[in-house]
Amino acid sequence: MPNKERGLIELYNDDPERAEYLVFGRKAGPDRRGFLRGAGLASMGAVLGTTIPFSSNMPAGLMPAALAETINEFSIDSKHADMIVHNDRPMNVEAAAHLLDDDITPAAHHFIRNNGTMPMPMSKADWRLKIDGEVNEELELSYDDLMNDFEQVTMQAQLECGGNGRAGFNPLPRGNPWSIGAIGNAEWTGVRVRDILRRAGVKPSAVYTGHFSYDEHLSGDPDRQAISRGGPIDKMMDPGTIIALKMNGEDIPIEHGYPARIVAPGWAGSVSQKWVTRIWVRDREHDGPGMTGLSYRIPRFPVEAGAEVAHEDMMVMGSMIVKSAITNPIAGAETRAGAPFAIRGQAWAGDNHVVKMETSIDFGATWQTAQLHAPANRFAWQRWEQTVIPPMAGYYEVWARATDNQGNSQPMVVPGWNPRGYLNNACHRIHFTAV
Amino acid sequence: MKTLFSTCGAAIAAALLVMAAPSLSSADERITTLADVPEDFEFYPLPPGEGVDEVYYGCIACHSLRTVTNGAYSRAVWDELLDWMVDDQGMMAPEPDIRDVMLDYLATYIGEDWEG
Repeated sequence: MPNKERGLIELYNDDPERAEYLVFGRKAGPDRRGFLRGAGLASMGAVLGTTIPFSSNMPAGLMPAALAETINEFSIDSKHADMIVHNDRPMNVEAAAHLLDDDITPAAHHFIRNNGTMPMPMSKADWRLKIDGEVNEELELSYDDLMNDFEQVTMQAQLECGGNGRAGFNPLPRGNPWSIGAIGNAEWTGVRVRDILRRAGVKPSAVYTGHFSYDEHLSGDPDRQAISRGGPIDKMMDPGTIIALKMNGEDIPIEHGYPARIVAPGWAGSVSQKWVTRIWVRDREHDGPGMTGLSYRIPRFPVEAGAEVAHEDMMVMGSMIVKSAITNPIAGAETRAGAPFAIRGQAWAGDNHVVKMETSIDFGATWQTAQLHAPANRFAWQRWEQTVIPPMAGYYEVWARATDNQGNSQPMVVPGWNPRGYLNNACHRIHFTAV
Repeated sequence: MKTLFSTCGAAIAAALLVMAAPSLSSADERITTLADVPEDFEFYPLPPGEGVDEVYYGCIACHSLRTVTNGAYSRAVWDELLDWMVDDQGMMAPEPDIRDVMLDYLATYIGEDWEG
């Protein structure tokens, strides 16, 4: 049968309450929760395959997580089979949420966001890092120079794509439709950018960096760069910003930037140039591809969904914002009614850290504080754990909400729309069934 | 287990949708989800439609067609994207009539109701 009916997601995007009336016959109560005289409860239960114990709390217009979660069958070598491939040229791959359960993300579970080609690996012997621009002395450093002449540091670092969560925005902004898995927390070893810049001698005129790499533009034009972003000098001089030479104790895999890349944790991943060959210290905000127009920029003030925003009203994104993921169980797990059920995940907050983690299994009517672990080091994500007891058999959703040390917490609904779909930190939710 | 559960749920939901909302079905026979594009279609993963070959050959030189089918954009966004490809990304500018065909295809077949 040709697919003629409109998809659930489109219906919910148009008008969620009308959608659930059309699909399930649901009418919510006057408080916009629950099911008015049970209207639609039986048909939603039939679709979910079970009853909904906290149905009286369920917000109007909420698509059940069981239907909102999607499965993708595309796979790629060297990556776990559950990684979600959005594209192969350029390569863009994210992790299914349950693959983020390790405290240190294995390379096989770490998202990939390429803008250009996957380059042929440059040998360590041929590789050089050039430092120029607003410095007293230009440097050209070899791999061995970095290994031997500078202090090596090892740290866990969260790297998150600026567009992680883009798929939740409506209308859908252009770009990869990431769900929640464009985040990773690998252990990186390398040299502080600060130490290198100090060796070169940073002039007072230095305000920003521009980053260059040896991958190629997709058009094959050697005069174009696939991407060339940078960061304000304060972020680059932060001791947490490094030129990484190892990922999880091994040479960095080619897809993650062999033989060396920047790791500027807590900021949009594009600041952390892979295959880096040059840091240009600049006297103004860098203007390479990915710095101007709408790219990696957000409106200076809230805008209506779908609005056209003048380029001068956009500003470069800084730190990523507070967020969390439920990494265990896998969405759709079954558990026993009345018995304790362990739930856990990771939480992070860009340059900040998470101070409180809460979960709800009754559609947000009540929240329970979860156990939250300290980060392994500054910029590492944080493990959280919770035990819940589903009181009776049926369909449940876990909602998870982190709060950072600045008092920012995650919204339950998608936050401010912006033209390219950055910074969606809406609460992650998954469903489970008690039997 | 999860896959089965979700798929069953979606299938039942789709069935309910057809019963509950027949007025939403249109006479338009076009394919609206990536999953329904036949893998042996010569321009896979693009859905069939007028202009599919122009879009296929105009885009495949530099990037995979998944870049296109990840879309679901309005005509205005596709229009801007075509300009961006030419102005910033090194795409050879298509002749104006070919560009119109490409934009019509993208806006019609990979518009906001597309599920990639």
